[in-house]
Amino acid sequence: MTALAIRWIHLAASLGLVGLITMTLLAGRSDRPTARQWDARVWRLAGWLVLLFALSGVALLAHQSALAAGRPGAAFDPAAWRRLLFETRFGAVWLIRHAVLLLLASLLLLRESERAPLDWMAWRVQAWMLAALAAGALAWAGHAVAVESAALAAPLLDTLHVLAAGTWLGALLPLALLLRAASAEAGADGRPFAVLAARRFSAVALGAMTLLVATGLWNAWVQVASIPALVGTRYGWLLLAKVALLAPVLALAVINRRRLIPSLSGDAAAVGRPAMTRLGRFLRWESGLAMVILGVTAALSLMAPARHETPWWPFSYRLSYEATAELPGVNARLLIGGQLAVLGLLGGIVGALLRSRRVLLLAAGAAAVVAGLWIALPPLAVDAYPTTYRRSPVPYQAASVTSGMALYGTHCATCHGASGRGDGPGGAGLPKLPADLTAPHTAQHTAGDLFWWLTRGITAAGMPAFGSQLAEEQRWDVINFLRALAAGAQARQLGPVVRTGAPQLVAPDFSFAVGPTPPRALRDLRGRSVVLLVLFSLPDSRLRLAELAAAYAELGFAGAEIIAIPMDGEREIIRRLGANRPPFLFPVVTDGAAEIVPTYALLAGEPRPLGQPPHLRHAELLIDRQGYVRGRWLPGTPGWEDLHALRGQIQTLARETPTSPPPDEHVH
Amino acid sequence: MRLWRVVLLLNLTVALGLLGGYLAWGRQIPRLARDLEQARQQGAPAAVERTLTARGVVRAVFPEANLVIVTHGDIPGYMPAMTMGFQVTEPRLYEGLDVGDVIQFTLRGVPPNLLITTLTREGRT
Repeated sequence: MTALAIRWIHLAASLGLVGLITMTLLAGRSDRPTARQWDARVWRLAGWLVLLFALSGVALLAHQSALAAGRPGAAFDPAAWRRLLFETRFGAVWLIRHAVLLLLASLLLLRESERAPLDWMAWRVQAWMLAALAAGALAWAGHAVAVESAALAAPLLDTLHVLAAGTWLGALLPLALLLRAASAEAGADGRPFAVLAARRFSAVALGAMTLLVATGLWNAWVQVASIPALVGTRYGWLLLAKVALLAPVLALAVINRRRLIPSLSGDAAAVGRPAMTRLGRFLRWESGLAMVILGVTAALSLMAPARHETPWWPFSYRLSYEATAELPGVNARLLIGGQLAVLGLLGGIVGALLRSRRVLLLAAGAAAVVAGLWIALPPLAVDAYPTTYRRSPVPYQAASVTSGMALYGTHCATCHGASGRGDGPGGAGLPKLPADLTAPHTAQHTAGDLFWWLTRGITAAGMPAFGSQLAEEQRWDVINFLRALAAGAQARQLGPVVRTGAPQLVAPDFSFAVGPTPPRALRDLRGRSVVLLVLFSLPDSRLRLAELAAAYAELGFAGAEIIAIPMDGEREIIRRLGANRPPFLFPVVTDGAAEIVPTYALLAGEPRPLGQPPHLRHAELLIDRQGYVRGRWLPGTPGWEDLHALRGQIQTLARETPTSPPPDEHVH
Repeated sequence: MRLWRVVLLLNLTVALGLLGGYLAWGRQIPRLARDLEQARQQGAPAAVERTLTARGVVRAVFPEANLVIVTHGDIPGYMPAMTMGFQVTEPRLYEGLDVGDVIQFTLRGVPPNLLITTLTREGRT
């Protein structure tokens, strides 16, 4: 709470300074007493803001120091301050900002000597630049710096965002003060000056507002990145609150610009002065709302951006084209509805531009958009749950798949069947037949959906809840196993000839060791080699292994590493393979086979009841440099028994430019 | 002094400060690179005799070439884990050695010409 208050004050003081100076620049020079009084008052206010800026800056430093050192006592520890100031980015930005503030403060003390127009201008522009520097540099110690994809653009745009906010929101209060002074009985001499200032501000504010909204949208896009993150995280909610608060500010701004500012120059007694009073009042309201917005912004700056958070989906459905594209009629409705909505949008734009029949066109446009969305969107809805967008904390690894497989055998196989086809003996009497987990539709449910069903059960279908029986990690293990099971069904379509196009089947990561050497991970080979995974058993595979040993150098030259995994998982397998000419030099796994074999037997496409020893005696899989399974060969089928054919496939994979991003380690 | 001159001087100072900071930063990078290079050269194995020990598993023995091929773990300061052939100082070292034996061995020599000087069997794989 303290941190929030400090940041709030600091932000408000930084932005307020920028706005204050902007407003005096916009208002210009005047010799009228009211104008001069207002000017002096604004600069006194600026002095207070500088003080507030510095005090909250020191408080911020103390708070950050305690936070960095991890103990409250470090808040005023000189050594901790030194470390923070001279060794962190926060410190560097803090130093620069407060050095600039010091310059600004000394400049403010020189104010008395401004006489000539050149001095007036030079002094104010200088003050504005220093205030803008002190405020804009804030962006370089915030979330924007951590955006890797746009290391320079993100903080630059955030700087613009801060400056636009300062220029617009910070200038509201000084302008309101001027209008109040000028609309008073005694302030009549200042009225032309105030009207001019309000007009100029209105023009500048329009630009600043546009910039603010544009950079704000960009920031939101970068820091939130998805709809679930927007509606399902605390960061997203606060951002929505910020937008909701901005809406009345914008509405007031529109009224000011369209109604009040034009009437300022109307008949002084009947139109001009009331309009001025009302404008002043509206500006004070806007200013108050702006303070609340700054509070929300300060809270946002304290939170991890939504892109790093796990969203909690608040609706019972979600819209997904991927999950519904195959259903009949979806595409047609989407097309018709989309066209209608676009037409409505065009109509609305034309209506906004035209003067005659505006209301009619706008209404028709809005109706068309609503009708279009009404037609297009409902077919895209699929059921969703709070955890739908939850990402698995357990990576898709052979160890997890294997443990999930064992859990499946104990808890799920009774109803869903030993092979996952939904044909278990326990499923017969249930209200709804258990799902066939090998069917392609499992790919259409997110991992988070499965997590929800596993945790809470599906009452209507008679599926029990496992939330109390299985630990969270175990539930994710089961989900990783289900992913591998579905992948196995897909893998049956893979053959010895590598297909181009977007690869789908992620190779579960595993760790393996050869003898006493430290374990390595399949992942370590990503981006470096194509991997030929050989699941073998002796004595059946001996001839094939000898062939591969003879071709090892040649295949390696083509870009492949071979990893041989004994299906029986024997630890003395290198010894059992024994001497051979040429020798087996590729890694032969002595540790890790117990997890790799069950997982990759699924991917090798063996349809067998789970938990029983594999029927497979030998299988080979090709994994591309990105980490996707791309080729599959079983002895007895035509394909890689011809090593030239195998080398050709390896060369294809080694040469191809990746079309898909490297696979995510987590199911989703 | 007129105020605008003060302002001009102030800006000049700020600009010079920024320029100075930027230049210092620019000089720091080559200096870091130089330091790194120096450190690397100091860390690099000099042409002196070294003794290293490692563990591994025997993958093949070629008596005709006086060669043992070993899949070994990381040898700090020399090479990462890999499958690699090493020559031995005397043939008696690989007598009775089988493929799949886990060994601990000592390498001695001036890199890159290191020979296995001692070798003990620890188990099987």
